[in-house]
Amino acid sequence: MTKRFGIRNLALILPALLIGLTLLLDIFVIETIVEPLVYLYIALGGIFIIYVISPLYASRRLVNYYWQRVKRNRLAVAGLGFILFLILLAIIGPFLTADPTAVSFEEKNIPPVGFTLKESIYELETGQFITRTATGDWQHPLGTDNKGRDLLAMIISGAGVSLQVGLLATGIALALGTLIGVISAYFGGKTDNILMRFTDIMMTFPFFLLLVLIVFIFGANLAIIVLVIGLTGWTGTARLIRSETLSLRTREFIMAAKALGASDGRVVLTHLVPNVISLIIVIATLSIPGVIVAEAALSFIGLGDPAVTSWGMVLRAGQQTLDTAWWVAVAPGVMLFLTVLAFNFVGDGLRDAFDPRSSL
Amino acid sequence: MKKTWLRDYIIRRLLYAIIIAWGILTVTFVLVRIGPTSPADKYLANLAARGQDAAQVIAAVEARYGLDQPIYAQYLNYIGNLVQGDWGWSFSTSMPVIELIQTHWIYSFQLILLSSIFAGIIGILIGIYSAVRQYSRTDYIATFFSFIGISIPNFWLGVMLILLFAVQFGLFKTYYDTSLPLFSLANLKQLILPVITLGTGMLAGYTRYTRSAMLDNLRKEFVRTARAKGLPERTVIGKHVFRNAILPLITIIMFDLGSIVFGGAYLTEIVFGIPGLGRISFNAIFADDYAVVVAITLIAAFLILMINLITDITYTYLDPRIRYD
Repeated sequence: MTKRFGIRNLALILPALLIGLTLLLDIFVIETIVEPLVYLYIALGGIFIIYVISPLYASRRLVNYYWQRVKRNRLAVAGLGFILFLILLAIIGPFLTADPTAVSFEEKNIPPVGFTLKESIYELETGQFITRTATGDWQHPLGTDNKGRDLLAMIISGAGVSLQVGLLATGIALALGTLIGVISAYFGGKTDNILMRFTDIMMTFPFFLLLVLIVFIFGANLAIIVLVIGLTGWTGTARLIRSETLSLRTREFIMAAKALGASDGRVVLTHLVPNVISLIIVIATLSIPGVIVAEAALSFIGLGDPAVTSWGMVLRAGQQTLDTAWWVAVAPGVMLFLTVLAFNFVGDGLRDAFDPRSSL
Repeated sequence: MKKTWLRDYIIRRLLYAIIIAWGILTVTFVLVRIGPTSPADKYLANLAARGQDAAQVIAAVEARYGLDQPIYAQYLNYIGNLVQGDWGWSFSTSMPVIELIQTHWIYSFQLILLSSIFAGIIGILIGIYSAVRQYSRTDYIATFFSFIGISIPNFWLGVMLILLFAVQFGLFKTYYDTSLPLFSLANLKQLILPVITLGTGMLAGYTRYTRSAMLDNLRKEFVRTARAKGLPERTVIGKHVFRNAILPLITIIMFDLGSIVFGGAYLTEIVFGIPGLGRISFNAIFADDYAVVVAITLIAAFLILMINLITDITYTYLDPRIRYD
């Protein structure tokens, strides 16, 4: 118990200190312009340590038991492997590849390794069409687009964007959804009524159209997109967590905590939230793909952050050159598809593993 | 007894729908108001670009949007106008938004209708078969493909279909032709790729929902009783299991409409250039045409609200178990 509190307090103090420090640097040292996303990272990292890492560490035997169950689902393990690969790619990749925004018209429309492409191009000097044969080489393993940008570098940059948006926005949505769900169920009555009616209103908006509207109003910027997806995507979580908490609310350990004089805040944060953590983990893995696709779709229709290269943006460029450079549209979509598939497999595996009724 | 109960329920449900509708309008109003640029700014920038007199334009715009009035009056005006059918003016197309919507909704409607038919029929049939033959090879294949169908981003699927069937094989045109009459075979043909694009995700979802709804009911005792009575398997599945599975199925399908189908149709229209509501909202974004973008989000939300209302009422009417809650 005491050991767990050590980690908890550390996890509370450290992010607070870090945020304060970054804020000070941001305000007083003019040279360091800290991206708004950094604050999100630190805050969500703190929440993650308190509510996910520390309870998992405290109950290592249980974690081991669930891991044995997850391990039996081969698709989930494969999905996990792909996600780890993607994370590594996003972290290490940018150091190994060229600048994804470097334009070079001499190297445009080079096909991927193993493909040759014949295209007729108009030559300015002679005023005639000549047939150019382009063969893929290892300098651009996935080829280049119509501006000569390296596709592999763009894909790696996009992996980073997708993962960032996926993790951060899901983090916000889950934190918000859990809080609203738990508070709604715990306090009941008027609070429950107001919160759930608001949830109903938010749920009536079609998710993607609401995203389009808000990004259109507030401007396309990665931090805004993350915030908007996070602030609109919590409704489903809130409902699930609410119904889960409703069944927990009357259990003995909650009554015992209350009888011992624990405050409402303490009951919610240290007794209710940790008990819905397994449900939250499953919801998290199953909501990340939706968020990643939503971001890609926004970039695809031209509402993405123009400063970063994301998969949706590459796909958008690729659709315009389908007849000359088909690979530009194929590569980002394949990555997007595999990422979504991987998270779905892992989420399904986790759900089965946490379900005591399933006989794995 | 039954009649008054149902009437009370419908009245309660209608009142509730009105509250939600008011909430939707308020959320949109707040969003537009707290945004960094006001509709007038975007309108102005656009008109100024055409070299019109700034002072005149400002006066006209402020009067048009009522921006010179206090905020509560603006709020009341906003709701009043929408309720009376004045959905604003689209300057990029120079017509009232409501007219724009009246000419374009049919394209979205035909796409969603055809996709629903396609996905509904095939998805439900595969789902039933999958559940009846649980753990058979067909079941595994269906489950596998439904996983893929759910995971494939529909706008990418659309681009790939164009690449394969329109660009490589030349079977279809790469772009939607609006000159074709709506009720013609040629129009139906050019909707094949869009319907597959939108319908694949729906199909995969419906297969999964049907399968699990059927499995839930297959294990019930009344099924054993029906079999014990010696009823043919066809009757057991069709009359006893499927009839019980269909209600939760419809609820979940209706719920999908808002979260998946409308967003999917929006993207499908953009990929294929179908001039439906999604496409005009997309065009309006790049013309900074505020009223259109807001109106189309509102319309989609109201449609979902209405569909939910109808589903709830029908559900209550059809399922006697809910009535006594």
